[in-house]
Amino acid sequence: MLFNTVPFFVFLATVLVLFYASPRVLRRYILLAASYFFYGCWNYKFIVLLLTLTAIDYTAGIWLEKVPPGPRRKAVLIGSLSANLGFLGFFKYYNFLAGNLALLAGKPVHSFFLDIVLPLGISFHTFQSMSYVVDVYRGEQKAVRDPIDYALFICFFPQLVAGPIVRAHTFFRDLFHWQAPSGEDVARGIFLLTLGLTKKMAFADQFAKVANEYFKNVSGHPGAVAAWSGVFAFGMQIYFDFSGYTDMAIGMAKLLGFHFPVNFRRPYLAVSITDFWHRWHISLSTWLRDYLYIPLGGNRHGPWMTYRNLMLTMLLGGLWHGASWNFVIWGGYHGALLSLERIAGTNERIQKESGWLRPARVVLTCALAMIGWVFFRAADLAQSRKVLGEMFGSVAGQSLLAPWHIELVLIALLLAVAEEKFEWSEWLIKAPMPAYASALALMFFCIEVFGVIDASIPFIYFQF
Amino acid sequence: MATLSPTLESTPVLRKRRRIGVALLLACICLFGLDAVLFRTRLYTSILEPASAAGYFEMVLRREREAQSWLGDNVVVTLGNSRFGYSPKIIDHLPVKAAYVLRQAGIGGTNALVWYYMLRDLDPTAQRYRAIVFAVDDYDDEDRLSQPDDDITALHYVIARLRWSDTIEFARSFHSRQVQWEAFRSAALKGIAYQSDILAFLTHPWERLASIELHRGGFAHWTYDYVETPRSMVGLQVDWSTMKATFPPTFDQNQRDTVSFLMSADPQNGRLAAYRRKWFGKIIDRYRGSRTKIIFIRLARGPILRPDNLVKKLSSSIREFAFRPNVILADEHTFDSLEHPEFYKDGVHLNREGAARFSQMLSDLVTRILGAPDQHTAR
Repeated sequence: MLFNTVPFFVFLATVLVLFYASPRVLRRYILLAASYFFYGCWNYKFIVLLLTLTAIDYTAGIWLEKVPPGPRRKAVLIGSLSANLGFLGFFKYYNFLAGNLALLAGKPVHSFFLDIVLPLGISFHTFQSMSYVVDVYRGEQKAVRDPIDYALFICFFPQLVAGPIVRAHTFFRDLFHWQAPSGEDVARGIFLLTLGLTKKMAFADQFAKVANEYFKNVSGHPGAVAAWSGVFAFGMQIYFDFSGYTDMAIGMAKLLGFHFPVNFRRPYLAVSITDFWHRWHISLSTWLRDYLYIPLGGNRHGPWMTYRNLMLTMLLGGLWHGASWNFVIWGGYHGALLSLERIAGTNERIQKESGWLRPARVVLTCALAMIGWVFFRAADLAQSRKVLGEMFGSVAGQSLLAPWHIELVLIALLLAVAEEKFEWSEWLIKAPMPAYASALALMFFCIEVFGVIDASIPFIYFQF
Repeated sequence: MATLSPTLESTPVLRKRRRIGVALLLACICLFGLDAVLFRTRLYTSILEPASAAGYFEMVLRREREAQSWLGDNVVVTLGNSRFGYSPKIIDHLPVKAAYVLRQAGIGGTNALVWYYMLRDLDPTAQRYRAIVFAVDDYDDEDRLSQPDDDITALHYVIARLRWSDTIEFARSFHSRQVQWEAFRSAALKGIAYQSDILAFLTHPWERLASIELHRGGFAHWTYDYVETPRSMVGLQVDWSTMKATFPPTFDQNQRDTVSFLMSADPQNGRLAAYRRKWFGKIIDRYRGSRTKIIFIRLARGPILRPDNLVKKLSSSIREFAFRPNVILADEHTFDSLEHPEFYKDGVHLNREGAARFSQMLSDLVTRILGAPDQHTAR
């Protein structure tokens, strides 16, 4: 049940009606049942996995609170983290490791493969679950007593399959002190839901057609212009796709009285890669910072350790996205760029810069991000090399983007710059009714005229 | 969990939420309004791609509407698909002047649903024409694998002609839920159906405008002057006992494929009969009490005759219409003499020679059925 389909909106409307028509004591049961139903629509068998992980971390949370500090407490933490990472490792990384081991042993790559189906959203809910356990261990979060509450934290349908990765304190604050959403929150929820749908259907899916065409047949589209246009199309697709999904998730949560953190802040307007990671998939980058980079030592042990920690964090961040060397290289590429920026002191300098240098930096950062997307999107390393070769070492070729694609990008750029400067979306949400309604109507119209309606192109991050 | 704790909802909050409900309603009204302004007026239909289904339909409609102003009274409009390959020019240039002017408002690939919407806007008073000639493949109903009742391309032909009031009936006329939904949403919000046309326009706006200008000036002449290919199907042999066709080596793939179509026999399920009863029924109802006669003709069946027992047809909806006032069925064997390979360019379409003969036969037939035209009315 994809967010951009009619059945999903029927489901959402039903949940909203049931939720608000029910006595308040029943509402969390309704959300829980709806969330399992939502997950079961994809593959009901994996509800068992979800329940198992929920049970393990719920129990671990209670134990961590009961057991005094010491080795036993640490053992509980390690046990819980091992279970999460074990499941994640098996489902997501087994075939990757098996393939590499087979190659090392001189056997065909498929020799030790298992027929494994990757459970939907496993990377997201295990990270969410692990952060809870670590927070309880650190004493930053009280263990949740009611298993229903904890189960809902893990499987809440708006963010179950592709985030944002919500921290326990945020979720339980909203759950325990639940307030009916204010009029403004309802307005914001509907606005975000519509905005996300527009981003997905009218922008991401249109660019997906170009990117898919290019990456399906790289040799059929020779030349640097073709390569850059194909990669640029993917860069646009992944941004509109993922931020669109996130907007919808945040919007739905708002309608249900929950407040999720912002996950994207116009990343292609970043002036450096460091800035890019402050704007792109913020819930993951802050998770990696809080649960990996800082525990590794962060920047507390001198420059070389900082670079090492950055590299390790980004390599693992890359691997989190998918089990392939491409993702490892993508992570390493970003880690290297972050380290280089630290060495050069770029970030400190940028804050003082003004004039034409800033737009130039935005373009440069965007181009660097695009180069990184080659590894992210390419089927394998050979295709990555081929695409990069085309981008930097071949004749011109032909663009795969039609003029209206460029028009879409320019409109989006204009809106993004305006949002950066004036926060027009906030203004619209609070604006008088005719202005708010016009904005919604324009987005609906955008979906009508530009939306890819029948293809049902899945959200990219659903595969992670 | 403590519970989802009760909170007192203040009146301003409720008022604000009500305002959001009104805003949503207003947004929907705005959306439909915007769609109507752009796509239910001439604003967008005037820049449709002429080579698209909708664009071609509009060009034909425009050509025929314009022709109405100078054609006088004895006009017969004909509707059919690409198999209805006669030439109005040949009829106009017959040695003995034809009694009626025949106008071709049919479009390749269309069927009765499209013809209904064409006639509704071509002849709003249902009085303009002396007769309407519908060309059908068979008076009996033979179901084929691709059924017209689930052919969404019909939507793309008639999209510019659909009104709000058509939405439900139009959508429900399709067979499968999926196509019904597709038809419903496109009839309600036409921008969805125009999407690819809009994107193509945004890609090359100036080329589009130039093409429209060119078609406006030349479409009527091009279609009037169109001459079929002299290529024929001579040499085609079909062994119906083994269902094998033998083609001369010069035959191209299209010629071979269309013969395969001719030879195929699909399961009969009655859907074509229901479809014809619905759409021809609507057309006939529209002309009830009108001076306009409805004439059905059966087209020549092909370069090679199919055995009668190839398909067991379950019904004959066209013959049922013969009992309705104003409806005339031409003798179904009128065009049998065309059923030879030398008159066909492929398995289903007439060639130049076939079209020439067919044009004269059609003109004679119409005169025979309608009788001599009124002398005092101008042509």
